Formats: sequence, structure tokens, C-alpha cells
Amino acid sequence: MTREPMSEHELEATLSDVGERLAYPRPTRLADAVRARLREPRPGRWWDMLRSPRRAFVPVFATLVVLALAVLVALPDARAAATEFLRLRGIVIFQAPAIATPSATAVPRATFAGALVTLDEARRTADFTVRAPTDPSLGAPDQVYRGKSPNGAHDVITLVYISRAGIPVSREAGVSVLVGEFRGRIDETLFAKVAAAGTRIEDVTVSGDKGFWIEGEPHLFFYRDEAGNVWNETLRLAGNTLLWEQDGVTHRLEAQVTREEALRIAATFR
Amino acid sequence: MERSRNGDQNAYAELVTRYQAIAARTAYVITGTAADAEDVAQDAFVKAYYALDRFRTGAPFRPWLLRIVANEAINRRKAAGRRPTVGLSVVEDRASGDTALSPEASALAHERRELVLDALRRMREEDRLVIAYRYFFELSEVEMADALGVARGTVKSRLSRAIARLRTLMEGEGRHDA
Repeated sequence: MTREPMSEHELEATLSDVGERLAYPRPTRLADAVRARLREPRPGRWWDMLRSPRRAFVPVFATLVVLALAVLVALPDARAAATEFLRLRGIVIFQAPAIATPSATAVPRATFAGALVTLDEARRTADFTVRAPTDPSLGAPDQVYRGKSPNGAHDVITLVYISRAGIPVSREAGVSVLVGEFRGRIDETLFAKVAAAGTRIEDVTVSGDKGFWIEGEPHLFFYRDEAGNVWNETLRLAGNTLLWEQDGVTHRLEAQVTREEALRIAATFR
Repeated sequence: MERSRNGDQNAYAELVTRYQAIAARTAYVITGTAADAEDVAQDAFVKAYYALDRFRTGAPFRPWLLRIVANEAINRRKAAGRRPTVGLSVVEDRASGDTALSPEASALAHERRELVLDALRRMREEDRLVIAYRYFFELSEVEMADALGVARGTVKSRLSRAIARLRTLMEGEGRHDA
């Protein structure tokens, strides 16, 4: 059987016809369901802390679970249980037997206060060469923050991509993509990560430089000051993350994408 | 709207009631299942509530909301491991339009709907969405631009590209039948 292609008018009429007949859901009590969810405590969004320099320094009460874990990481004696085994400029990664999941109230907090700036301002003023992904599917970042590392010595630039098609908003970061960049000294540890059994860490190469891909169970991400103390309020869970160094600048790209996709995005940093 | 921005959840519930149908329909066009669509609509309304402070006062709420719904629906489909086709279905036994048609015309209309529906099921979500906004929900060009997050001048070309792809999928099916 051969079919004549439909005329433009016939196709449009058929589309309207289909549109009228689709078996759409008919929600009736959506308002009640939404209202009930709005009454629940809102999951923390750590980057909100970046917006207000004042609030960023308010101490946050962590749950006992998180405190216990922070102590485990901070105390040299307890560190036997969590062994340092990977290092990039300014970042150290510990392996722990297990990570207790912090409760929602304690989860995500940022450490440094940041000023909302434009990408151009960040590029002009940061103490290193700021790069950003040029991948068209990401486009320009929705927000750019310029803050200081916990020891006050380095600028830290954070690029926030709130929601991008094809990249789920991560439960841990609360956004589709987060990029962090700073230039740390090779011998200092500003940021730390704790990975447990369910987290896979792989060596990768980004533009010829060393990096790590962290995937699987969320890992803990936090900051340490010069004395090596963990800032409790900085503990948060992080999802899939690519870490790499480029010209002395440490980059971290956090997004719920595959390793290949993360490497592809990383290669577009200019 | 203004009351919702100030955190009045009752006022927001009114907005939900007003826009729940279009939100669920939009989600359905992308997910293809009613249950997923309702979940997506619910999530989108919760997200929209918390994002109200980023909403420009005076801007129309509907396209802004649809943008959140569509993004949520597309992300959910991709996160769930996307299948290439969706299970969109139509309710066939509606008496209304067909009563005036002869049996032959009615059969032809049915055949055309099936042909179009089958192509729609196999389309990229983004293309299906453009077609739905225009032909199912009859959004204006201005509203479509806002809902799709594109420049107004881009809407026409997006739509014609989506229609061209729809035709390609339909023709592919036609050859297959022959």
C-alpha cells in the first residue's frame, strides 16, 4: 500500500486531533501533595551559603554522625582507619572503610564566602587563569562566585550550572554541574575527600595532565585550614567528580554524568 | 503570584491548581506515562516554589513553569535510562469529532493519527515538545520562546525542523509498510 504524504494542512489537523486525544493524566490533588512537600524541611542546598557572606560564617551544627566522621579524619590516630592515598595540588583523597550518611540537616554546607561576580570579573581578578567549559550544551554558567580558600591564601572560583538538559540535578550538589578552580601549592591540603567502599576512583588524564575520576557512592568533600583542621560545616556529600590539574590550577567538575562525558567536558575548558 | 513569592503556600496552592493540567500534560508528552508525568509535575511545582525568588516579577508564570516541567521530565527520562520510544497513547473511542465523518473518512483519520502518533513516539523529546506546545497546547510564539528558553526568532525554525523530522519518521514508516 502506498500512502500519499499528507499536505501541510492535513498534518496540522492530524496533530491537533492527536493532541486532543492523548491519554493525559488528570491530576486533581496535586496542590495538596505539593503543599505537603513544602511543609517538609527543605533539603539543604549548600551553594545558597555562597550567596550570603554573612550567613556563610554562621557555625552549622552537624549531627553526631558527621562530627564523629570529621574527628576520624582530623585526628592522626584515627587516621589509620582512613588512609591518605591520592593527592593533587591542594587536594587529598582519603579512603575510609565506610561513610556514614550524614542526615539531611547536616549535609551540604560550603565553607568560604563568595561574592557573586561575572565570569569576566572572575577572569580579571582571580590569582590564576580561570578557565570555563566551552561546551555548547552547558553554555555560560548561571552563577560565578569568587571566594577565598579556607586559609585565605588563594582565590577559589566556583561556576554553577543550575539545570542543564541531559544532566540530572544531583542530589548531593543540588545543581546539574559545579566547577571549582583554585591554584594551590603542591604541599598544602585545602580540600579533602573521603571515599568509601562504594566509591570508585580511577586515574585519568586530562589534556596530558593527571587527574582522578570519582564515581559511584557519594563521597565526602570538605575543607581543611592551615593547621589541617576539618571545618565541620564544610562537610558535604559529593556525586561524580572529575579532578585534574592544568598549569598548576586544580579543577573539579562535579556532575552526574559518565566518565567519558566528564572528560569530554573537561577537554573543552578554555 | 506576589503572595506566593512571599512564601504564602496557600496562594501557591492556587497556582498549582490552575496550572496542574498543563504541567501534567507537558510532562506526559515527554515521559509517555501518566504516573511519571504526575510525579514530574509534582517535583516541578516544588522546585518552582523554591525558585520563585529567581522569577522576574511581571513575567508570565506559565512558560516559566513549563520550562521547569520540561527540563525535569527530560532529565527523569534520561536518568531512568532512556528507551528510544515512549508509550504515548490516545483515547480512541471519543465520539465527538468522528460522528460527522463517513466511515471511510473516519478510517482515514484514524490511520493518519496512528501514523503521526507512531512517529511522535520515536521523536527526540525536544522536538516532540515543540510540536506539543504549538499543536496540542496552542501556545503563542512568544510563550513558546519563553517555555523553550530560546529567542523569539528561533521558534519558527525549531518548529519547522521538528515537523520535518516528524515527516521523515513518518515516511520511513510508510516505506517500511510498502
